Amino acid sequence: MGENGAGKSTLGKILAGIHRPDEGSLEVEGVERRFHSPLEAQRTGVAIVHQELLFCPNLSVAENISLARLPSRAGRLDWRKLGERARFYLEQVGAECEVHEELSRLSTGQKQMVQIAAALATGARIFVMDEPTSSLSAVETQRLEELVAKLRRNGATILYVSHRLEEIFRLCDMVTVMRDGQQVATIPLAQTNEAELVKLMIGRSWQKRLPGQVERAAGPERLRVENFSSPEKFHDINFSIRSGEVLGVAGLVGSGRSEVALGIFGLDRAVSGRVFVDGKEARPRSPREAMKLGIGLVSEDRKGQGLVLDMECGENITLSSLDRLSRGGVIRRGGERKVIARFFEKLRIKAASPQIPAQTLSGGNQQKLVLAKWLARESRVLILDEPTRGVDIGAKGEIHRLIDELAAAGHAILMISSELPEVLNLSTRVIVMRNGRLVANLDRSEATAERVLKMMTGCGETAASSAGEPGGQELI
Amino acid sequence: MAIEPGPEVPVKPGMGFRRSRFKETGLMGVLVALGMFLSIFGGSLPVTNRDTGEVVRVNKFLRADNLDKLAKNTSFFAIMAVGATFVIITGGIDLSVGAVYCLAAVCGAMFLNRFGPHGAGAGAPAFLVVPGALLVCLGAGALCGFINGLGVVGLRVHSFVITLGTMAIYRGIAFVMTKAQAFTDFPPAFTDGFVRREIHCYGASLYPVPLAIMIGVTAFAWWYLKHSVTGRHIFAVGGNEQASLFSGLPVNWVKVKVYTFSGLAAGIAAMIMLGYYGSASSDAGKGYELDVIAAAVVGGASLAGGRGTAWGALLGALIIQVINNGIIILNIDQNYSQIIIGTVIVLAVLLDRINNTLRERRMTRAPRP
Repeated sequence: MGENGAGKSTLGKILAGIHRPDEGSLEVEGVERRFHSPLEAQRTGVAIVHQELLFCPNLSVAENISLARLPSRAGRLDWRKLGERARFYLEQVGAECEVHEELSRLSTGQKQMVQIAAALATGARIFVMDEPTSSLSAVETQRLEELVAKLRRNGATILYVSHRLEEIFRLCDMVTVMRDGQQVATIPLAQTNEAELVKLMIGRSWQKRLPGQVERAAGPERLRVENFSSPEKFHDINFSIRSGEVLGVAGLVGSGRSEVALGIFGLDRAVSGRVFVDGKEARPRSPREAMKLGIGLVSEDRKGQGLVLDMECGENITLSSLDRLSRGGVIRRGGERKVIARFFEKLRIKAASPQIPAQTLSGGNQQKLVLAKWLARESRVLILDEPTRGVDIGAKGEIHRLIDELAAAGHAILMISSELPEVLNLSTRVIVMRNGRLVANLDRSEATAERVLKMMTGCGETAASSAGEPGGQELI
Repeated sequence: MAIEPGPEVPVKPGMGFRRSRFKETGLMGVLVALGMFLSIFGGSLPVTNRDTGEVVRVNKFLRADNLDKLAKNTSFFAIMAVGATFVIITGGIDLSVGAVYCLAAVCGAMFLNRFGPHGAGAGAPAFLVVPGALLVCLGAGALCGFINGLGVVGLRVHSFVITLGTMAIYRGIAFVMTKAQAFTDFPPAFTDGFVRREIHCYGASLYPVPLAIMIGVTAFAWWYLKHSVTGRHIFAVGGNEQASLFSGLPVNWVKVKVYTFSGLAAGIAAMIMLGYYGSASSDAGKGYELDVIAAAVVGGASLAGGRGTAWGALLGALIIQVINNGIIILNIDQNYSQIIIGTVIVLAVLLDRINNTLRERRMTRAPRP
């Protein structure tokens, strides 16, 4: 167990031979091994069931199940045997689906079951299950748990990565808690309880509040959303942000946090509801419109959505504000250079020169580039989605201070984060989302770690309902 | 702030990783090497000087009219390759350039034929006919390109498919319009007076206009890509379309523009062809699309998008034409030319990849503050 980014998935991937360890040894049944590929791991009897589904969606269920060892006769694919084998393993896991169906047509839950069947098909004795129930319905979860129990009875070893406390308690014997890539504790479950595990996961004692984080007088309202909804993503979201505020959004992955951000930024055509920017109703229909309204989005996928990695750092900074730095469609080089230099200094971006490709920068500095892009555009509303994901500790502190400074300078900031300490420390207010709904809007003083965590996970409500929740949840 | 600023690194002009410079130096090197090879091994030819009647031996490759022919042959491809480079930088491809070239040529030819010595509008003043022909050629090209762009953006289909379709459509339109006949008989003001204007130089007659247009177009395209807002947007869209969208760039509009540019370039090339050869038919420019894309790719444009330069496209076209020329000069069987050109294309792409790998390695080795 462990928070997002604690290193659970990475550990699982190393075990399954997808990533290579830097150091340390791995013994399987008393023999030291070093896997260079997932295939090698499979041969040794280690199979992984991924959290994200890594399969060929264009192939049939049967082919996916036997992908690594397709039965063939004289080089020709043996479809009959393939089908039989698939049917056999699917029955084992209790999945109901047609073996010749194309994988992409299945529901997420069905895909997950197929993946488990595929792991079984490799003849593995050691299973790494990375949040297998995160996308399963209640019935499917039930089946999976029975399957895990059955595998256990048959002598298999299971490494079960999960954030669902009740599952861990039902299924496991031992628990290892991870935090920031470190093993915090390994204890038999019989000797512990939910509260202790939560404490171990949150772990660190609270950092002291940031210097600028004393009560600030909030300015005028910058952004307000009313009855903001998008089918199957989020429903009836209401909040407002004032100038100088940092509104933290807490919630598990899949709770609809990022989707709300994309909706505000004009990237979701299905949204309904009202959005007010600076008191005027205006719902952006494209990022361009959002940008013109003074909204900037620092997305969670920095490399995919934030930066043009091949382009120069400086060019990335001015990308959104070229129309202001040009005359008659021609870029004013001098003006551009000045802006770039200003933000390099202001955000303390560390790069050999503004002319090197953004690709060469570290995660933290790349994140600063994305932020600089919106500051250069003079966006007054900043939506930050996981602003410190994949950023090293030093840069993280810097980004935190930067967020604080920006708020103090009058920006309105909506900050989405999976890291509770980040949300709790930086925010002036916290909203909590669960399953696409806004479940709480807390003042800074009301937002304690335990309270927010409970609201995020729905912990304390009936176990059945939380097990049946669709959508991947990833925090604990 | 407790965090120290990174080590100060002075920013020297020319330092850092200029995408294009090295690449083009490489192309220049290849070109010079090819030229030297052909000059040395191409042999010479007895030529009679028209004015003096003297017979002199002239280098087969470096002879004025050979170079002039080379420049003319290159100009069509280079101009279209520059246009194609715009499209390729955005990560798209334009297969219809050959057909657009043909349609623009046919439109222009019909216009010029009408105002030709024996046409209905014979005797119209040159200062109206020449700009009119220009307008028809460039307009037809740009319009075709614009339609390509609308298709790519509006239908959300890959540009390969859209332009594959329009390639057939445009050529079909050209065929229907001409009823499969060739158009000739253009006003001399457009041919000899403009595109085919002749200058005499040491007894050789040269036609500098195609060359001048080629260099002008390339220079403008280079400047545009480097200094205009749209140029920057083109690189951004090709480098990372999603990030461009997330940065509030008018991604669709940028795409429509690049296809329009590509069509416009084909229109310019068509205009040169009309003026130079004085005729056009519906099978003009058949198979040009692949030569054009080859020139752009040899010139360093990456089909994955995000990279490419106008000068690179020009040099790429030139290299291919020099090789074609060399095959004739060296008396190699014409049938081998395709094999040789094909090999060169693959080699160029391979070189490009090696260059990229080296660049990446250099970048990862660069100290991270």
